Amino acid sequence: MLTYVLSPVFNGLFSAMVIFLFATGLTLIFGILRVLNFAHGGFFMIGAYVAFSLVSLFGSTESMLSYLLVSVASGLVLGGIGLLVERFVFRPLQKVDEAYSLIATYALLLLTEGAVKAIWGVSFHSAAAPSALAGIYIVGDLFMPTYAIFIILLGIACYVFLEWVLQHTETGKLTQSIASDPWMAQMLGVNVPRFYTWIVVFGFFLAGIAGGLLLPNQTISPNLASTFVVQAFGVLIVGGMGNIRGTFLAAILLCVIDSFGSVYFSEVPGMFFYIAMVVMLLLRPEGLVRGARL
Amino acid sequence: MKQRFETTLVRDLGIGAAFLAVMLALPSVADKGIVFVAGTLALHIIFGLSWNLMFGRTGLVSFGHASFFAIGGYCYALLARTWPDLHPFVTLSSAALFGALVALLVGIIALRRSLGVYFAILSLALAQIVYLFLSYIPELGREDGFTGIQRPELGLGFVSIDLAQGDNYYYFMVLVCALLGSLIWWVIHGPVGRRFKSIEQDPVRAEFLGINVFANRLASFVIASTVTALVGALYGPWLQLLTPEVAHWSFSARPILYALLGGVQSFWGPVVGAIGFSILEYGTRTMHGLSEIVIGATLLVVVLLLPGGILGGLARLKTRLSAKRPDKPTEEPAE
Repeated sequence: MLTYVLSPVFNGLFSAMVIFLFATGLTLIFGILRVLNFAHGGFFMIGAYVAFSLVSLFGSTESMLSYLLVSVASGLVLGGIGLLVERFVFRPLQKVDEAYSLIATYALLLLTEGAVKAIWGVSFHSAAAPSALAGIYIVGDLFMPTYAIFIILLGIACYVFLEWVLQHTETGKLTQSIASDPWMAQMLGVNVPRFYTWIVVFGFFLAGIAGGLLLPNQTISPNLASTFVVQAFGVLIVGGMGNIRGTFLAAILLCVIDSFGSVYFSEVPGMFFYIAMVVMLLLRPEGLVRGARL
Repeated sequence: MKQRFETTLVRDLGIGAAFLAVMLALPSVADKGIVFVAGTLALHIIFGLSWNLMFGRTGLVSFGHASFFAIGGYCYALLARTWPDLHPFVTLSSAALFGALVALLVGIIALRRSLGVYFAILSLALAQIVYLFLSYIPELGREDGFTGIQRPELGLGFVSIDLAQGDNYYYFMVLVCALLGSLIWWVIHGPVGRRFKSIEQDPVRAEFLGINVFANRLASFVIASTVTALVGALYGPWLQLLTPEVAHWSFSARPILYALLGGVQSFWGPVVGAIGFSILEYGTRTMHGLSEIVIGATLLVVVLLLPGGILGGLARLKTRLSAKRPDKPTEEPAE
């Protein structure tokens, strides 16, 4: 009986942390620049492809260290791309209407899909998890792959780290103040444009690192970009318009509900995520966590 | 005001008639591939125009417009399979009515509490539910799609036209689209459209002026969705196949791209956008990956360099040119 509850909770937590790791960069950029970045999935996908190329270049996916190093490397590559995107797309977009930033980021998404097709082709690729994460724990009837446990712990660690940075460091407090009132921050002598650049670079870095870390989770193909985007938008909005805590809570809530839904209504897997999302948006349009804080 | 309305009417009637003539003449001069693209374009133009009836007029950013396209399409296909002897006008209008009903329900729930980005994401989530639903129902063909949708026989009382013959279905579609386009033009330029416009410009002020903002937003949402459901219903027999892809969010992005690419302020914006997009798509159809790069780069350049779309850019160019023109007559007397 316990497995009917624990197993969906475990699976829900796993997919929640996958979405959360994907959505952290999206949340930061939306929370501060107010750009709802459609292309985030595209850059996440490029991160996964870069990681895949590095893995095939250096041979093995065996060692934990190379898995982590490869992820960080693809994060750095994406951070570099972020620098260009901020300079040539996001910065000019600050001057135009909000709706146009949607079409611009959609155009970026098309560009990333085209680039992936041109560089890596349309065939499917996959990479195995390092051997340290390839095992499985069985407790009673509950199957827990080591990789899933690792991702859950990583997601929680990532949340705790970001929360700590935002609440307790100078940079974090500066971020909060810029998020809540960029004009006032500018008046007080903060170089807001430069700060925006760093936030975008960091957001892209997170997308790239997530692409590398989640590489063993899925086969990669040019369709990967659009897989998580809608769900990530969902947790972003249900969480309360771009704050990390809300995104974290909403990811857990929606994914665990979805996981239960998929167990008990197995003919419509994945449907309950969106049903829960619609209900949450109607009940609490302002989101789970209110306020201007990140 | 009336004067201006009449000049716009005459101008747009002229443009519309010329465009319609080109579309109707196409099958006799172009090959089958071009005719197919043109027929699909006609549907996409109405798809874009109906989306802009919400965004350009009442400021609603819907991200799930494709779900009504899919609802209309699947509803038509299901009806045509179950009762093949029904008159196509009955089947088509039933599909449109069903779309209207869904839109009314969705609109009443979604528009009451949520606007702006919320409405965008909410409509995206609702569309995703439709998408998943269509991919899971065996009767609707799951992910393989709904196959074998027949082009119907059109009985007009005194004469009966078999739409499966030759280019008949193309002509039928283009004529229905012309009617729908005129309907949208009439809604936009009539008193209803002016009420919509005041909401787009300032919803709070519109409310103070005694305009029921909620009811008018709902009206624009329902009209746009009904028109789209009808367009979707026409699309099934055109392709003779429907897949859940027509409900996917990337298909919902289409009308948004058309409208923003062409320009949202003018009636013709989405038309120009859809034509431009189709040309790009047709021109790059054989290039692997390059197709997305060309389309993406073009969109990006338009957004960054021409906010207001192609027509907005042209309008600015025109005002700049006419501002310079007074210089010329001053030069002449100097001679």
